[in-house]
Amino acid sequence: MSMDIKKRFILFLMAAPLLVAGCSKQEQGSKKSQSQESPPVAVESITIRTAVEVGGAEVLLVPASAIFHKGELAGIFVVGADNRLSVRWISTGRSMNNDLVVLGGLDKGEIVVGTYSPALQEGVTVIKRVTAEDQTNE
Amino acid sequence: MNDGIAGKLAKQFINSKITPLLMLASLLVGIMATFMTPREEEPQIVVPMVDLYIPYPGATPAEVELRVAKPVERTLTEIPGVDYVYSTSMPDFAVVTVRYKVGEDAEKSMVKLWSTLMKNMDKMPSGVQFPLMKKVSIDDVPVLNLTFWSKTKDPFELRKTAVEVADELKKIKNIGDVEIKGGLKRQVKIVLNKEKLRQFNVSPLQIARQVQIANSQMTAGDFKQMNQEIIVRSGKFLESASDVGNIVVGIYGASPVYLRDVASVVDGPEEVSNYNFFGWAAAAPKGSVSGEYPAVTLTVAKRQGSDASKLADKVLAKVDELKKSSIPAGVTVSETRNYGATATDKVSTLLEHLLMAVVAVTVVVGFFLGWRGALVVLASVPITFALTLLIYYLLDYSLNRVTLFALIFVTGIVVDDSIIIAENIHRHFAMKRQPKLQAAITAINEVGNPTILATFTVIAAVLPMVFVSGLMGPYMSPMPIGASLAMIFSLLVALIATPWLSFRLLKTEEGHQDEYDITKTGYYKIFNTILTPFIESSFKRWVAFGVVGLMLVGAIALVPLKAVQMKMLPFDNKNEFQVIVDMPEGTALEQTARVTKEISAYLKTVPEVSSYQYYVGTNAPINFNGLVRHYYMRQAKNMGDIQVNLVPKDERKAQSHDIAKKVRAGVQQIAMRYNANAKIVEIPPGPPVLSTLVAEIYGPSQEQQIALAKQVKKVFEETPGVVDVDWMVEADQKVYNLVVNKERAAFRGVSAEQIAQTLRMSLAGMDVGVLHTDKELEPVTIQVRLPQSDRTSLQDLSGIFVQSQGMGTLTTRLRAGEMIPLSELVKVEEKIQDKSIYRKDLRRVVYVTADVAGATESPVYAMLDMDKKIEKLKVPGGYSVSPLYTASPKSDEKLAMKWDGEWQITFEVFRDLGTAFAVVLVIIYLLIIGWFQSFKTPLIMMIAIPLSLVGIIPGHLLHGAFFTATSMIGMIALAGIMVRNSVLLIDFIQIRRAEGAGLKQAVIESAAVRTRPIILTSGAVVIGSIVMLFDPIFQGLAISLIWGGVLSTILTLVVVPIVYYIVEKKSAKL
Repeated sequence: MSMDIKKRFILFLMAAPLLVAGCSKQEQGSKKSQSQESPPVAVESITIRTAVEVGGAEVLLVPASAIFHKGELAGIFVVGADNRLSVRWISTGRSMNNDLVVLGGLDKGEIVVGTYSPALQEGVTVIKRVTAEDQTNE
Repeated sequence: MNDGIAGKLAKQFINSKITPLLMLASLLVGIMATFMTPREEEPQIVVPMVDLYIPYPGATPAEVELRVAKPVERTLTEIPGVDYVYSTSMPDFAVVTVRYKVGEDAEKSMVKLWSTLMKNMDKMPSGVQFPLMKKVSIDDVPVLNLTFWSKTKDPFELRKTAVEVADELKKIKNIGDVEIKGGLKRQVKIVLNKEKLRQFNVSPLQIARQVQIANSQMTAGDFKQMNQEIIVRSGKFLESASDVGNIVVGIYGASPVYLRDVASVVDGPEEVSNYNFFGWAAAAPKGSVSGEYPAVTLTVAKRQGSDASKLADKVLAKVDELKKSSIPAGVTVSETRNYGATATDKVSTLLEHLLMAVVAVTVVVGFFLGWRGALVVLASVPITFALTLLIYYLLDYSLNRVTLFALIFVTGIVVDDSIIIAENIHRHFAMKRQPKLQAAITAINEVGNPTILATFTVIAAVLPMVFVSGLMGPYMSPMPIGASLAMIFSLLVALIATPWLSFRLLKTEEGHQDEYDITKTGYYKIFNTILTPFIESSFKRWVAFGVVGLMLVGAIALVPLKAVQMKMLPFDNKNEFQVIVDMPEGTALEQTARVTKEISAYLKTVPEVSSYQYYVGTNAPINFNGLVRHYYMRQAKNMGDIQVNLVPKDERKAQSHDIAKKVRAGVQQIAMRYNANAKIVEIPPGPPVLSTLVAEIYGPSQEQQIALAKQVKKVFEETPGVVDVDWMVEADQKVYNLVVNKERAAFRGVSAEQIAQTLRMSLAGMDVGVLHTDKELEPVTIQVRLPQSDRTSLQDLSGIFVQSQGMGTLTTRLRAGEMIPLSELVKVEEKIQDKSIYRKDLRRVVYVTADVAGATESPVYAMLDMDKKIEKLKVPGGYSVSPLYTASPKSDEKLAMKWDGEWQITFEVFRDLGTAFAVVLVIIYLLIIGWFQSFKTPLIMMIAIPLSLVGIIPGHLLHGAFFTATSMIGMIALAGIMVRNSVLLIDFIQIRRAEGAGLKQAVIESAAVRTRPIILTSGAVVIGSIVMLFDPIFQGLAISLIWGGVLSTILTLVVVPIVYYIVEKKSAKL
C-alpha cells in the first residue's frame, strides 16, 4: 500500500508541468470572455489535469469537489469556449488523493468549474477566475 | 324502345316504398361503420419480418459468416414466400433478418421459419447457441410515449415510478407491449475487492458458484403422518442484499469467509448504462421550465386491429388517475408521442376534406342543374360512402390516410353516375315530350347502359393498381379497392336512389319552351361554330391535330428536360423528426452523451421545436421507419438518438421537411467537430427503406469492397444535394486480445474456459441470479463485477486470480485451490476489431447510404449524376464499375455496385403502375369493343387518354411539384374518366344516327347535348380534387386530376367528335 502512495506522488509531480501549460491557455480564454453579455458569474475554474499512470497511459483528473451526483449519474460543470457553463456527464474511476480519474466525458485541456455549487446553472455565462493550482498535495 | 338493365331497375324502384328505406338503412350502417372502424394514421401493413439472433461465442465475423450466417441463409431462402434474407456477422454472433413477401401470413411464416431452422440445427458447428427468434411487426411501434422527467428525482427513481405505472397500464384492454426506455434498474451489485480476494484466497468464479448455490429453494417432498401430508421444503431464496452478503464463499484458516468480507454488496441502481434526458425547447408551451432533466420513457404499443386514439385516451386517463397515487410529486409526465391523436387529427382533416369536396361538387352541380338537381346529387354521395365505409369495416380495413384518401379521390367520380342520370332526367323533363314518369324512365334508358359501361371503365382503370407489389402494395391497395367499391355503389345509387329522388325533386315546369329544339340551345350554337370549320375543311382539321400533337410532344418533353422531376413520394408535414448520432466505434458512452447533448442544445434553439429528448446507450422509441431500419438495435455506447418534437403543424409556417433541411447544417457542424456522423431522419411518407440512397457494393473480397465503398462514399459527399452520407463499415476499434498461454495454463491446472469466464465476470460483470422479493416489479439481478475503478486498464487485470483445479486435471502437481494471477497465464495482443460482414441474398455486401435534400430532392437525379463519376473510379483490375439499377450483379468475381433504397421501391412502383396502366388500356379497349361491337370506335375513344398528358405535365411544372406515384395514379384514373366521356359522346352520336340524323348533325348535336354532363362530371372531379392540392402527399394526384381533367375535357370535346367524323365519314358514304 505504501508503494501506491509513492507512485501517486510521483505521478502528481509529473503532472505539474502539464498543469502550468493548461493555466496559460486559460488566461487567453478569459481575455476573450470580456466581450460576453449578461451579468457573468465569477467561478473558480481549473483546467483538467492529466497524470501518467504506471503503464505509461495518460489519465485525466478532476477534483472530487467538482463533481456532483444525480443518483448514479456523475456530472461536472464545463466552461465552454463561449464562457458558458454546461453540464457534462462523466464516468469516474479510482481516486487519486482528492482527485478522481475521469474515464469518459471530458477531453484534455477542457476547463471545468473547480468546486460544485448547487447555485450553478447550465447556460450561465461565467468569468473564469483561474485559481492557482492547489499544491498542498505535493 | 326496349328497357335495358338500367331502365328495368329504375322502373322497379322509382315508385317503390322500399327505396327510401334502403337509402336510410345504408346511411345508418355507414354511420355505424364510421364509429366502429379503428382509426390510425398509417395503413396496416403486414410485412412478416423476423430477426434471428444466433450467438456463436468467441468466433470472428468471418467465422460467424462461414459457419452460421451462410448456411442459415441458404436454408432460409428455400422457404416459399421469403423475399429477402439479410445477415450481419459480428464478433460472437450473427443477426439474420428474413423478410417475407408483403401480405404473407405472419404466423404461418414464423412456423415455416422455425421448422426450417430446427431441421438444420444439427448442421450447426458446436459452440453455436440456441437462436433467438423475434418477429418484428408494425404493432411493435409504440403509439403513445410518455416521458417521466423530474428536477429532483434521478433515473433510478424515475424508472421505478415508470415501472409501477406500466404495471397499472397493462391492465387496460387492447394494450400491447408496454416498455420502458432509459433509467436505471435496481440491482444487487457484488463489487469485488481484488486485494481481499487475494487475501482470503477466494476467486470470482467461486463467488459466482456460491451465490448460485445459495439462491435456491425447493420442495423436497412430503411426510405422511396421522392421515395428513406435511410438505417438506428446503433452502431459502436470497431476499435482500444482506442475505447476499452473508453467503459463505470460502474457508480461510479455520473461519468462514463471508461474501461481505471480500466484496461490498450494494443494493441500488445499476451502473450507468444510458443517458436519457428531456428538455423543453424554443417553442415550448408557456411556463415550461428551461434546462434538461433526467427522463425515462414509457412506450405503449397497441394490439393489432385496435383503435390507437381510443387506447391513447384510455391510457392518458389512467395516468391522470395515477398521478394521485403511484406518481410522486415532482415527477412530470409529458406526452412525447401520441399517434392516437395524430391519427384522429389526420382522419378528421381528411373527413373535413371529404366534406369540402362533396360540398364543392354539389355547388357546381347546383350551378348547372339548379338546387333541386344539386340536392339529388348531394343525397347520393353519403349513401355511396356509407356503403363503402361499411365494406371497409367488414374487410377489416382501418380508417387511415390511405383508405380515406381513396374516398376523397373518388368523390369527384362517384357523383358522376348520379349527375349523368339526374342531368338526363332533368333534360327530358325540360323537353316535356312525355309524361313525367315515362320521361324519367326514357332518360334513364338513354344513358343507363353507357353509364354502366362508363363505370366499369373507371373501375377497370383503378383496379389493376391492386397489383402493385412490394412494400408499396399495402399503401396502394386500399385505394383501388375502395375506389372500385365506391364506384359500384355509386352506380347502384344512381340507378336506384337517384331516379327516385329526381322523380320527386326535379320539376317539370323548368322548361321555358313548349317544343324542345336542340339547335336553339347555347351549347349547340357554340359547337356548331367550333366544329363546323374542322368538319368541313380537312386543312383546318390537320392544323388542329398538328397543334394538339405539338402540345402533347411539348408536354412530354418537360420530363427529360427536368422541368418536371419524378419522385416516388414527397415528404409529409409531420410533427417530429429524429437525429441519429453515430460516434466512431469504441467511443465512450459519456463522450457520445456529450456530443448528443451538444446537438440537442442547438436543436433547442430552433424556433419550431417544442421539446426534445435524447437517448444515449439505448434506442429512442421506434417508429415504422425505425422498425424497418432496425433502429431498435441501436443500443451501443457509440450511438445516440434525439427525438425532436415540433409544434403542431397549424401553429407553424414551415413544413417539417423544410425545418429538417434547415437544421441539418447546424447539426452536422457540431457532429463534425467530434468526428461523429449525424443524420436527420424524417418519417418517410411511404414505405420505409434502409436509406433514401443506398449503394450496395459487391465484390470478390471485403477489402476491395471497402476500398470501392470508400471511393463511392467520397463521390456521394462531393455531389450537391446528397446529404447524410454514411457507410456501414465500422471504424477501427482497438481490441486487446488476451491469448491464453496453453502450456502454462495446463501446468497450473487452469482451464481456458475458467480464464474466459473470470475475465468476463470482472469486466462485463455476470448475473448470478435474481433477488427473490415480491415487492419489485422488475427482476432485481445479482451481479458480480469489479468496480469501475479497477477495470480501466490492462494493469488492472494483473490483480485478478483464478483458482487452480489442482491434481484433478492431471496436468498439474499444484494443489487445488492455489490462486494463480491471470497475468501469468495470458499474453496481450493488440489488434483492430474485425469488421462486421453484411450479406444480402447470399452475397457479401458493403452499404454506402445517403439522403437527398436541397439541390436535388429526388434520388433518381442524384443517382444519374453520380453514375458518371462512379464509372470513372479506378478499381484494381482496370475495369470500370457501372452502377446497376434493377438486378444485382451476376457474379462476385468483379467489383460491382447496385442502387437500392428508395430507388428500388420507386422502380417497382412505377413498373407495376406502368404495367397496370397497360392492362387498364387493354381492358378498357375490350370493354368498349364489347359494347360498341367495333374495333375502330374504342380507339377513337381512347385518343382522350394521351391528351390528358397535355394538362398533367405542365400542371406539375406550374405548381412546382414532383411527378409522384400519386400523380401516376391520377393519370391512370383519368384515363378511365376520359374514356367514359368519349363513351357518352359517341354513344349519343350513334343513337342520333340510328334515329336517322346525318353524320355531321349527329356529331355536333352529340357534342352539344353531352357537353353539360361531361363538363359537370369532369368539373366534379376537378373541384373535388382541389382540396387535395394542399396535402403534400396527394398534391400530385390533385394536379393530375385537375389539369389533366380540364385540358383533356376541352380537347376531348373537340378532338373526339372530329376524329369520329373522319373515321365514320368513309363508312357513312359507303
